[in-house]
Amino acid sequence: MNNKLNISKVAVVGANGTMGANISAIFASFGDAKVYLISRDMEKSRNAVIKAYKSVRSDGIIKNLIPAEYSDLEKYVSDADLVFESVSEELELKKDITTRIGKCAKKGSIICSGTSGLSVTTLAECLPTELKTNYFGVHMFNPPYAMTLCEFIPTKYSDNTKAVLLKNYLTDVLRRTVVETKDSPAFLGNRIGFQFINQALIFAEQYKDQGGIDFIDAILGPFSGRAMPPIVTADFVGLDVHKAIVNNVYNNTNDYNKETFLCPAYVDSLISENKLGRKVGCGLYKSEIDDSGNKRRMVYDIKNGYYRDVIKFAFPFADNMKEQIKNGDYYQAFETLINSNSIESNLCLNFLLEYIIYSLITAQEVGYSVHDADEVMATGFNWCPPLALLDALAEVQNPKLLFSKIVDKQVLKKINLEKLILDIEPSKYDYRKFFKSGR
Amino acid sequence: MNKVHIIGGAQTDFERNWTKEGKNLVALLKEVLKDGLDDAGISFDDVRMLNEKNKVGCFVGNFIAEQYVNQGHLGAFLTEVSPAFYGVPSARYEAACASSSVALDAAITKIKAGEYDLAIVVGWELMKTVDSKIGGDILGRAAYYEKEGRGIDFPFPKLFGRLADEILNKYKIEEGRFMDALAMISVKNYSNAKNNPLAQTRKWFMNFEQAKNRGTSTNSIVGGRLAVSDCSQVTDGAAVVVLASEQYANSIKKGTPIVKGYGHRVAPLLFEKKILESQNSPYILPWTRQAVLDAYKTSGLEVKDIDVFETHDCFTSSEYAAVSAFGISKPGEEYQAIETGITSMLGSKPINPSGGLIGCGHPVGASGARMFLDIYKQVAGKAGKYQVNNANNGMMLNIGGSATTNYVFIVGNP
Repeated sequence: MNNKLNISKVAVVGANGTMGANISAIFASFGDAKVYLISRDMEKSRNAVIKAYKSVRSDGIIKNLIPAEYSDLEKYVSDADLVFESVSEELELKKDITTRIGKCAKKGSIICSGTSGLSVTTLAECLPTELKTNYFGVHMFNPPYAMTLCEFIPTKYSDNTKAVLLKNYLTDVLRRTVVETKDSPAFLGNRIGFQFINQALIFAEQYKDQGGIDFIDAILGPFSGRAMPPIVTADFVGLDVHKAIVNNVYNNTNDYNKETFLCPAYVDSLISENKLGRKVGCGLYKSEIDDSGNKRRMVYDIKNGYYRDVIKFAFPFADNMKEQIKNGDYYQAFETLINSNSIESNLCLNFLLEYIIYSLITAQEVGYSVHDADEVMATGFNWCPPLALLDALAEVQNPKLLFSKIVDKQVLKKINLEKLILDIEPSKYDYRKFFKSGR
Repeated sequence: MNKVHIIGGAQTDFERNWTKEGKNLVALLKEVLKDGLDDAGISFDDVRMLNEKNKVGCFVGNFIAEQYVNQGHLGAFLTEVSPAFYGVPSARYEAACASSSVALDAAITKIKAGEYDLAIVVGWELMKTVDSKIGGDILGRAAYYEKEGRGIDFPFPKLFGRLADEILNKYKIEEGRFMDALAMISVKNYSNAKNNPLAQTRKWFMNFEQAKNRGTSTNSIVGGRLAVSDCSQVTDGAAVVVLASEQYANSIKKGTPIVKGYGHRVAPLLFEKKILESQNSPYILPWTRQAVLDAYKTSGLEVKDIDVFETHDCFTSSEYAAVSAFGISKPGEEYQAIETGITSMLGSKPINPSGGLIGCGHPVGASGARMFLDIYKQVAGKAGKYQVNNANNGMMLNIGGSATTNYVFIVGNP
């Protein structure tokens, strides 16, 4: 058998979505494959072609991008070496499309779903036996040109040789950071990332008297190891998408942190009012232009149920950390975080420590190595990965002491901290670039 | 003369935007010095001890921090990195994009003369503090600003576009073939950068189709015949090289690479005068060639002895001219060497396995030190995924301005 996959034609089904178009571009550029971009009508597919080549900044790939529509799905899918399903995250819709693909895909072709967390096994079952072996979850992150993470999810039906070949293709040809995970709700990256985000939303409600949303985001800003604060991220992702992800995990998993996946009621009510976040111009945050033409950044006040100006919180611990990070004094910054002992600094530290714990535990459950959590959080979220964060904190204080001192006793009771820390290895990532000053 | 050993060094991740990270030049220097000294096996206490005997010095390469970050007196900034640098002789060296090569030269000279046991060279530039138009104007100061820079948008792409024109004029090469050779240089350097975990463009896409189609919406013309794909990058970054006397190097580790040769020549500042002067030479950049010849002479080596090259591909046209300057091809026949893949990663004379300035990035004041570090890594077998097999000697060419300052170093195993 050939030891390399030869993928010269790809059919992307649902190519008009952001992910569909961007993924088409990855196949057409790095993969130099001819890509059929299939969506509901030609207009949408033509727009997807433009989105696609712009996303990789290369009109050299336009010749590889062929717009197509659903009525021709059978024609294009039957011609493709690889079919990539990228329709919206609704199980029934995905099942219908996968069944339709299964009826026309050519023998030996690879079929992938870009689902961000539905059961790949369930979807595989829509296919005839001879294609089930070639079916995989291939979950990329947005935007894939900048975020190289690609979660790779085989099922119990998957052919092992094909799995290895596809993994090599994704790594060597498409230049993805491939992390194999189990077929578990939301897989690894979103399970860890959205736990953190949803917990931030829950805490915003608990601290609604202190300010709520902007209060929590000010505590978990870029100085805490991420490009944007967690609740801003939820707004960016879209509250409907956020809710679908956390609901899926809540309903289909059962770990010690299950309750932190419960979407708070105030988020539900914003969704019901179609305040879905940045994509509709209004969500947890919104921007308005005031009478003098200045941009006014506003936030949803959970306590009062209306939008108000974002408060510029000034916490001494955060201001000190920002100044120290600005000057490259990371050790001092983590010392500040650990030793400030204010309500806010302890909240921040608690979030970071619980993030480490949940990442390590989830990597054991959903991944295959302790480093998997690092890979997904660094290359899929651009957050300081958990092991790198632990490296940083451990320079200042013994991690075991730190966990016992800061983390909620209720959480510590549910986990085996001793054993968890025993397995820890240094991260392959450098923590310094993830900690940012400013804003 | 004493031998000069290279005992280690480091570069920052050139993908990083330090302005977006909200970090200043002190943060940049702290990181790269820590990493460089760690790699060399030197502690701040070692620096203190050497300084008691006045046996250590620091050499800072930077082009134009006055414009990018409003800061001069850059040699003194190492005292902000660690008190270990209090009292350590340190100064800034400048020759436009060849700034850190001058710093290297000064450091090498001090060790050769037996005055220092340890010399720490750091090159850096933070360029993302301004937008591309202002940045282009700032870089115009590497040319004769009054005559070649002031009031001109992106003066350097235009100067190196003219270099491409002059190459065509001089050698009467078929234009399509020449432009394709330039596209191949770009594709090679982007492709090499994919193997370099610290390269700015390691995630970017480039192929021959994209590079050869100039003047499109994603590959617009920037100067004459040259397009975006022919250009190096605007980069934030720093590189450290740690040099030592033989005795001191041996006390840390045995068999470290040494500096074998160098060349330093300055051509007429104005591009016009350069070209006028070169009319009687077979080389388009005769002083660049001369700097290479000087390095061969001082090292006693020839082109056949050099296993790996790092060159100053600020534009594809400058790497093109470097091919014959190195002696890899005859002048006027560079395109043949490029077409046959001699200068590619698997060719007999690989140029820019790191990705060069196009692929790895070009923080102008750091580039000389970064190239030097890379040929050191190659001969020491430390280049990881972009390692050239059996590299024993490496050569680098770092230029400032429109090939005005020309610096060449040869590094090899003893």
